[in-house]
Amino acid sequence: MGRFGRTRLIPWAGFLAYVKSAIERVNAVNLRKPLILTVVASALVGSLVMNGVSASAASDPGVSSTEIVLGMQLPQTGGASPGYNKIDDAARAYFDYVNSKGGVNGRSIKLVTKDDTYKAGVTINTAKQLINDDKIFAFFGSVGTQTHLSVVKDINRRGIPDLFVNSGYSGFYTDPKKYPNTFGGLGTYTVEAKILGKYIKEKYADKKIGLLYQSDDFGRNALAGLTASGLKFEAKKTAASFVSGTHGSIGLGTQIGQLKANGVDVVIIAAVSSATAVAYATAAALAYKPTKWAVISVGADSTTFQTILGARGTAPATSAALLAGTLTASHAPAAGDADDEYIKAFKKINDDFNKATGTGKTWDNNVLQGMNIAYLATSALMGVGKDLTRAKLVSYLQKNGAKLSSAAFSPLGYSATTHEAFTGFWLGEYDASLVLKPLDGKRVVYTTDSGNGPVTVSNYKRPAIAADALPKVA
Amino acid sequence: MSKVKTHKVIGFRSTRLAIIFFIFIVLLSLQFGPYNQSQLANISTLLIAVLSITLLTGASGQISLGQGAIMAVGGYSSALLVTKLGLSMWVAFILAIFVSALFGLFLGLAAARLSGPYLAGTTLVMALAVPSIAIRFESLFGGDIGFSVDYGNPPSWLTNLIGEISIEEWSLYVALPFAALSLFAVLNLSNSRSGRTWRAVRDNEVAAALAGINIARTKVIAFVCASALAGLAGAIYGFRGLVGPSVYPTDLSLTLLTAAVIGGLRSIGGALFGTFVIVFLPDIIEKLTKNWAIPESIGNYLPALIIGLLLLITVIWNPRGSAGALEHIRHRRKH
Repeated sequence: MGRFGRTRLIPWAGFLAYVKSAIERVNAVNLRKPLILTVVASALVGSLVMNGVSASAASDPGVSSTEIVLGMQLPQTGGASPGYNKIDDAARAYFDYVNSKGGVNGRSIKLVTKDDTYKAGVTINTAKQLINDDKIFAFFGSVGTQTHLSVVKDINRRGIPDLFVNSGYSGFYTDPKKYPNTFGGLGTYTVEAKILGKYIKEKYADKKIGLLYQSDDFGRNALAGLTASGLKFEAKKTAASFVSGTHGSIGLGTQIGQLKANGVDVVIIAAVSSATAVAYATAAALAYKPTKWAVISVGADSTTFQTILGARGTAPATSAALLAGTLTASHAPAAGDADDEYIKAFKKINDDFNKATGTGKTWDNNVLQGMNIAYLATSALMGVGKDLTRAKLVSYLQKNGAKLSSAAFSPLGYSATTHEAFTGFWLGEYDASLVLKPLDGKRVVYTTDSGNGPVTVSNYKRPAIAADALPKVA
Repeated sequence: MSKVKTHKVIGFRSTRLAIIFFIFIVLLSLQFGPYNQSQLANISTLLIAVLSITLLTGASGQISLGQGAIMAVGGYSSALLVTKLGLSMWVAFILAIFVSALFGLFLGLAAARLSGPYLAGTTLVMALAVPSIAIRFESLFGGDIGFSVDYGNPPSWLTNLIGEISIEEWSLYVALPFAALSLFAVLNLSNSRSGRTWRAVRDNEVAAALAGINIARTKVIAFVCASALAGLAGAIYGFRGLVGPSVYPTDLSLTLLTAAVIGGLRSIGGALFGTFVIVFLPDIIEKLTKNWAIPESIGNYLPALIIGLLLLITVIWNPRGSAGALEHIRHRRKH
């Protein structure tokens, strides 16, 4: 065996020694080495053939007469986890509630989750674990764009349903031929930006409008939507960008300073909530007070905003004052809207069934989103009926998904030509207690597409939630 | 004549070990389900990267905290060759080796002037910078989205030969031959004149220079060889599904170094052991946390915590790693 210095190269490798000794024992009966290798290789090929023959499946994995297993991957730890790490517990709480009411067609729903730490290299492993070890029936509510990009092709080629992905990246949904099994769980960034952009262009026509965005799919999709609405930005002047995930280390001083120096009155932010918090704190430190802050909803979660600033020593009252008045959009009711019937029902389920500890079950937008996609998943599983297969679930969602209702004020946009989720948003501003209130006291839902379609007022009427908070599907 | 014989012996032993490794992994995979087969594919891929550290740090004494960045170079170059030029994955893997070696050459030229913490710091910066470069030059490197690439489906000649195989088995059969060839190459290198020269430079640069060794050139060559290996590993690693910034984060570099240190920086067998640890230990911990009903809020942090502790214990009490510990035990038994 070779050596590096005085250390043996493979001094401890018992497993190799075992294989080696096995070959040596065979050698002891005076067989020639090439022959032994041939024998081992033949055995190997034989085993492979046997392995291949036995690898056939009789029915779809993850579904039995008593259970349906769904799998979710999300950042439960790491820098991107705050806020997002509540979605799985909320969804599980709703499924537990459904199970307590007898499940779906006699089957209970089990949600298995994996922490991918928001790193695509890890997501590839966790997906394989969910598919092969946990034998899930479908992916559900996976969080993140880049992480999901690393597995979406594999999930689709295996024919596994990929339900209600928590990403607004339109590339997953606008070409169902490419990803036939993938269905969105959020409105796309482009749709939301078009609606928000149109309002800002009309309302603040005499003001200088600027953009702070992270230079990833989220930021670029938002920029495309804002541009489609007629807004124009000038790079290095009224448009400032940063590499996603770096806001914590760089502090966004350069970007905010640039917008201030160029006299931007209305700042639109297309970045995650933690970056929004950093931007607000930096602007305060630079004594920069734009006329209006407008934030794409993914970056406008008030709980995450306050948590991030709280960790920097900002008192809750101060951070609330910073965020108050911010313009943003939502497809669902405001988490703080205590009068909304869906919010009332979901909050009750969250109180009774959410097993998360500490702030993990504190009611906010993330908990609402987890509950809402669980509600939608329950609807879809009910709709397919007793004879549940992966192919039937995908086919059902494509044909009937647009008819499914939820807490959202917009229906799902699913059809044969797109798997985009919510195509409608309403606009609102945070009040002093950080409840998102509709503009002018009246909720108007606007709708559009991820292409060049116009922004129009939606006439969708959200169906009422049933008394037992379970979906009623024909 | 004796010199030729020595080369033959080295070559024979390297070949034998590489074949044994190959057969062992295949036999092991036949005992495993699909998920663990994919983990064996990960071991085969990451082993190549850990071997690059074994060569660079263990043999030539140059500390690198940026092997993940060189993996990214391999990953991006192979993805670009496949998606932009339409080359086959196999050709792209081979060309990625050369691109990474070239990158290693430039890096090595700078590294030859640095040592110790300065070199470690420089390579760490590289680990931080390379994924950001991919985002900054979005039109070329695809930004955050990167390149969606994979191994494709197994070729018909293989399925005709051994029957239908799973996607996980196919990923193993893609990575394993490269791992075996890399093992063969590293075993050969470490036992050759080059390996001895590297060790001489590592142990005492002045003495090595007095013996007629060109120190700078030796260091650069070590960097080139290690980069070629890391680039190959990066290409195979990326083709699992995506070549993008979050596939090659900074902590990938640190994880590879951890594997090499736990196994034993100067040991090729240690590299294999360390790779098994970083790939399988998190799964074992996850199973244990489930069995013991440890809450997710704690269990999710345990793999990093335990591997970190293992690293600390190794560095403080057993700097030569598992390989060194076993050597010590054997030595005590003999005497």
